[in-house]
Amino acid sequence: MKNTDSTSMTSSHANYAWIHEVLEPDQLASTKPLFGRRKLGATTLALLWILRLYVLLMIFLIGYQVWSAFHAKF
Amino acid sequence: MRLFWVLLGPGILVMLGENDGPSMISYATTGASYGIGFFLPFILLTFAMAYVVQEMTVRLGAVTKKGHAELINERFGKFWGWFAMGDLVFGNLLTLVTEFIAIRAGLGFFHVPAAVSVLGAFLLIVAAVATQRYWTWERIVLSFAIFNLIFIPVAVMAHPVASDVVKAFFTWGPLPGGVNAAFMLLIMSNIGATVTPWMLFFQQSAVVDKGLTPKDITHGRVDTALGALLAAVAASATLLATVPLFTHHVDASNFQGADFAKALIPHVGNIGASLFALGLFEAGIVAALTISLSSAYAFGEVSGRSASINSPMKENIPFYAFLFAAAGIAALLVLIPNAPLVFITLIVNVIAVLAMPPAIVFLLLLVNDKEIMGQHANRILGNVFGIGVTIFLILAGLAYGILTIFPHLLTTS
Repeated sequence: MKNTDSTSMTSSHANYAWIHEVLEPDQLASTKPLFGRRKLGATTLALLWILRLYVLLMIFLIGYQVWSAFHAKF
Repeated sequence: MRLFWVLLGPGILVMLGENDGPSMISYATTGASYGIGFFLPFILLTFAMAYVVQEMTVRLGAVTKKGHAELINERFGKFWGWFAMGDLVFGNLLTLVTEFIAIRAGLGFFHVPAAVSVLGAFLLIVAAVATQRYWTWERIVLSFAIFNLIFIPVAVMAHPVASDVVKAFFTWGPLPGGVNAAFMLLIMSNIGATVTPWMLFFQQSAVVDKGLTPKDITHGRVDTALGALLAAVAASATLLATVPLFTHHVDASNFQGADFAKALIPHVGNIGASLFALGLFEAGIVAALTISLSSAYAFGEVSGRSASINSPMKENIPFYAFLFAAAGIAALLVLIPNAPLVFITLIVNVIAVLAMPPAIVFLLLLVNDKEIMGQHANRILGNVFGIGVTIFLILAGLAYGILTIFPHLLTTS
């Protein structure tokens, strides 16, 4: 039993080694770069909030259209 | 060529995946309401816009090796990361509901009970993901996605007048009825059928999951362009397939998926109508497979867990649970008796367009960030197109909003 486990472990390691050989260095998950936080400027923040309000307003309008369509139908 | 076959995937999947249930119903409604004219070249324009946006996600994924939600989270903080994911998950849930509606409608044409078709589709999603290999999952979805082209023979059976098609591309007309609220709804619906937030999140994450590197960007571009072309052909074919309904003055304004197939029987025969219904099923299942994964990718990335279907299910339970829950909730909603399914189908594409400008702003911020993109950052032309698409989407949304409140303000018929 022990031998079987040891064989499968070795085979598993061998598989990993093969994969490491085939992959290019920049394809390994361990090479995933870490990017720092970027501070958003006042203009960008304002734009993001305006667009957020735009989406909320438009969703309200869609709700109104659905409500109108529903009442027109029934 | 062999390398291209290996790299083929995310671009084609995302473009054909976006030719989903509500999109095909939208193109069908357009063909039945306006015939051959303005909307035929307009559909090509929307796919050109989709290419401009999606190409940026290929570069972002290949260079940073991070999914879209993960990158927003890391670069701009958790607040905007969770906001972006919230928008996506909400939009995706609504869209998933409509995919199950399309599956139900498509198979309903063949008298398959609703519960059987919806449950079967859900089990297919589970089975595809249970392979726990991105490559296998991708090949399964690609094999379904290619059937998106099933609408082409239906279009041929509808015998479109070639001279009308050529004329439409040169004149962008005719436009019967002029500009009104119904026209704007279809404009929004057609844009929402090609350019949506889930596509950004999905393609970038899929590029990462597949392991593409900066050297593969050219292949990624070809994959995306080919996907846009195939999807544009399938979309135009769907429009052309329903033109006989316009010619014979059939009112299709309240049609659901299966109604189109039934109404087309006198014009394209039983085989054509069956192909149309099968196409709706295909559109729904491909999108359900890709959109449920897109939600799970975003959840995994923002919550700091592994966001990959290459990860073993036992070690990444929250990721898989989120995916199954998203698909399961959507499937259950479709089965609720008397649920307002028609309304949901109508508004889903519109909501997608409205949610797009904030998503593109984040995309442009990231793709212009030289610190993370280096030499692959956007150039002037890329920004001109990107900002152009954003402004166009905002203006279309505003015009839609104005015409919703003041239906006669911009009428030019």
